Amino acid sequence: MKHAVISCLHANLAAVKAVLNDIDQKGISDITCLGDLVGYGPQPNEVVDLVRERDIASCQGCWDEDIIEGLNACECSYPSQLAEKRGHLAHEWTAEQLTDINKDFLASLPTSIRRDRILFVHGSPNSQHEYLLPDMNAFAALERVEKAGADTLFCGHTHQPYVRELKNGSIRVRLQNTSNHNAEEKEINLPMRKIVNAGSVGEPRHGSTNATYVIHDDVTGEVEIKEVAYDIGLTCQAIIDAGLPRIFAWRLSHGFEFAEQAEDASHVCER
Amino acid sequence: MIERWALVSGLKGDLETYELIQRDLKKASGVTALFVLGDMVGPERNCDALLNRLQNPRRDELQPQCIYGWWEEQLLTEQGLRGEQKADALRLNQGEEAVTALLNAVDTYHLKWLSSLQFGFIELDCGLIHGSSADIGDNLTPETSPLILIDRLTRLDVNRLFTAHSTKQFHLELTGGGLDSQVKDLNGESQHQQRVSKQSIIGIGAGANYTIYDVGSDETHFLTVGGQYNTKGKGFA
Repeated sequence: MKHAVISCLHANLAAVKAVLNDIDQKGISDITCLGDLVGYGPQPNEVVDLVRERDIASCQGCWDEDIIEGLNACECSYPSQLAEKRGHLAHEWTAEQLTDINKDFLASLPTSIRRDRILFVHGSPNSQHEYLLPDMNAFAALERVEKAGADTLFCGHTHQPYVRELKNGSIRVRLQNTSNHNAEEKEINLPMRKIVNAGSVGEPRHGSTNATYVIHDDVTGEVEIKEVAYDIGLTCQAIIDAGLPRIFAWRLSHGFEFAEQAEDASHVCER
Repeated sequence: MIERWALVSGLKGDLETYELIQRDLKKASGVTALFVLGDMVGPERNCDALLNRLQNPRRDELQPQCIYGWWEEQLLTEQGLRGEQKADALRLNQGEEAVTALLNAVDTYHLKWLSSLQFGFIELDCGLIHGSSADIGDNLTPETSPLILIDRLTRLDVNRLFTAHSTKQFHLELTGGGLDSQVKDLNGESQHQQRVSKQSIIGIGAGANYTIYDVGSDETHFLTVGGQYNTKGKGFA
């Protein structure tokens, strides 16, 4: 059966509606959301309301967590003080706008959803803040999936959709310890695993302005990355009307961003 | 002269053992640095004499370079000097009595010095940490999945990781292997094979068991106080 996975909605109602409409037209009713329902965008309540109305199973993203817990990440999440200031502005604005019911809903979201050997998370099984980029060390990437006890790991957070298969792996080791005077050598064969990043509905960063999501066939294991055009102007105007930083509208209309990606994407904030 | 490092951990207040190690090191040739990878304190005995000595080494001794370990973290956490929690891990594992014994084992005078210690050292292409960069209580052993070991090396971007928390002495080298990675995105498909880099994880032991690392030859020597060689491991010279 096919199911759709969406992520990083970021309070962009026009994009969310367009993606859900695309999924509906394909006759897919099973949808999983990987979090970041809010943040940056101008319609946090509308997007949370829609996810609740549609009863879409959702993980909690880093923005959802921060809105509930208070700003929890250190300045390491931002590459510059300017970027941090804009992020804090969006955080404060979103926290003010969200209704108590919607805050309670975000607080109730789990950090992961498991279906047999498939795991759904926002960032990584380690943290909602960790980026699993497509060029991350392959062994470290495999470790994330393997440690989580999954065959396939669905994640978001990077806003760049991809499907990464890790296969034909082995590691040879030589061990010397106090109980053996001759070194012991062995080879470990590694399992095949898959990481699927669903990209972003509400704030694409893959080089196009279109919203992205993925469709997974749990029988064949195939994954399709989907792009959906939406009325970007509508969201950009709402950003400006709301008084949010204009650069949020600029980057939506250009389809990528150069300003808000952490220099060390593998860094996991411990605060 | 070829540089050699001595690596010690898990003394837990045992000044006598520390003095025996220092005596051994005087006889060993070429040892230029002494790294103490945490667990200088513990609940079993009063630790003040050892802590005094580490902070005020004798002139004829190697000057110790110390980092904090799991027991220091529990102590500092319980004393409100680190994080927002109490020493929950210790309390959970060993009960309230162990927490009380730890507090009684260290004079508060030493807390300022203990809280000033670093999490780890990077020397040359080596990481020296009590547990690992993932967690101070990370228990890396020869049985730990090589995937996890590679992850810990990758996080620190080092070729050798010296670790102490497991208390075991071992030298595990990653000698080969690889992993195919196929990435599909909206621009198409790409394939890449990641090779296993020649890297090592070295468990340095604890208490009377310590390690000497020969930087030039990449050899590790596992010793016990009294100068007894347990065995030696050869890395990538």
